[in-house]
Amino acid sequence: MLEMLSSAQFWVDVFKIIVIDLLLSGDNAVVIALACRNLPVAQRKKGILYGVGGAIGLRIVLTFFAVSLLALPYLKLIGALLLLWIGIKLILPEEEHGEGNIKAETHLWGAVKTIIVADFVMSLDNVLGVAAAAKGNVSLLVFGLLISIPLIAWSSQLVLKLIDRFPFIIYAGGALLGYVAGEMLVSEALFKPLVEAQHSLHWLVPVVCAVLVLVVGKWLAARMAVKAEAVHLVDGQVSSAGGQSGGSK
Amino acid sequence: MMKVMIPVDGSAAANRAVDYVIASVAWLKQAPQIHLLNVQWKLASGNVKLFIDQETINDYYREQGNAALADARAKLDNTGLAYAYHISIGIPAEAIVQYAKEQAVDQIVMSAHGQGSWSDLLLGSVASKVAHLAQVPVLLVK
Repeated sequence: MLEMLSSAQFWVDVFKIIVIDLLLSGDNAVVIALACRNLPVAQRKKGILYGVGGAIGLRIVLTFFAVSLLALPYLKLIGALLLLWIGIKLILPEEEHGEGNIKAETHLWGAVKTIIVADFVMSLDNVLGVAAAAKGNVSLLVFGLLISIPLIAWSSQLVLKLIDRFPFIIYAGGALLGYVAGEMLVSEALFKPLVEAQHSLHWLVPVVCAVLVLVVGKWLAARMAVKAEAVHLVDGQVSSAGGQSGGSK
Repeated sequence: MMKVMIPVDGSAAANRAVDYVIASVAWLKQAPQIHLLNVQWKLASGNVKLFIDQETINDYYREQGNAALADARAKLDNTGLAYAYHISIGIPAEAIVQYAKEQAVDQIVMSAHGQGSWSDLLLGSVASKVAHLAQVPVLLVK
């Protein structure tokens, strides 16, 4: 374990896991923060605590599940293709979903359930990315998960601000996911004879996959380029007499 | 009447722009029409809306926005000046410029620094982006 900590490769892999986690789990952090808003004040902290605990536990189980699944033949191929798509999706601008028919949860366990169900649905991309980046190394996986959990819980605004200031981060993230997908493809048992015969494939495939994500992502993004307008939430007036009239829409 | 827009984020630095406008009212022949704006980052993306109802999301933005506007509004309330206040959701600099355009404001007065000078150093200030994007004069208050 200690030797591992001093190897450069280990830290490169940890860095990959953190970047993937950060870019793919902002939504989860927002759900955690918002799900407990309608609880009585006394229960909010509890709700967040249980929700985060449950979500973390679920995340760990799912990640290990993904790692063991990926050991099966063909599944790495499927996983790699999924990852390529996840990378492209990251580059594409947000699509607005219609509002679902969701009721605000006003009970502790309802809020906790929302957090955990949302985490289950929204962390599949993340789990797959992390599992691929860890390449089956369990201690790396645990280490990466532990580091990224606090990041996930408190970073959603920071990530937004960083992406606004340095838009290339989103492309770097997409390329990273492509690269990791390529690494997964190369390690697919199916292609083993091919890769062993042609050693350069070890770096060539990941690089090609990274470029592929960038090109396809850019191309699709250009086709759907619609700029999101800011939404006005509150409009109010205060007249000079000090009287007030206002409203929100 | 001159329309002045003051984007604020609730920080003391941002509110200095409000002080400046209040002080400058005396120099003008006619009190300007003042628009306060706070922009909330659009935290809740499409996926979040699958799990959280829109009303809860809007409540959150409203609460954060009103908190950010509170000090600036108190300053203006004390002077008895008329003003309008708004909360938008989006990317701050872009939402500020969009609002300025929609309301046809004549000038944007804002602090050169926002919530933290450390994060400005790393992330660049909203002010510099607004100065770059806006079609109207931008007055930066130190």
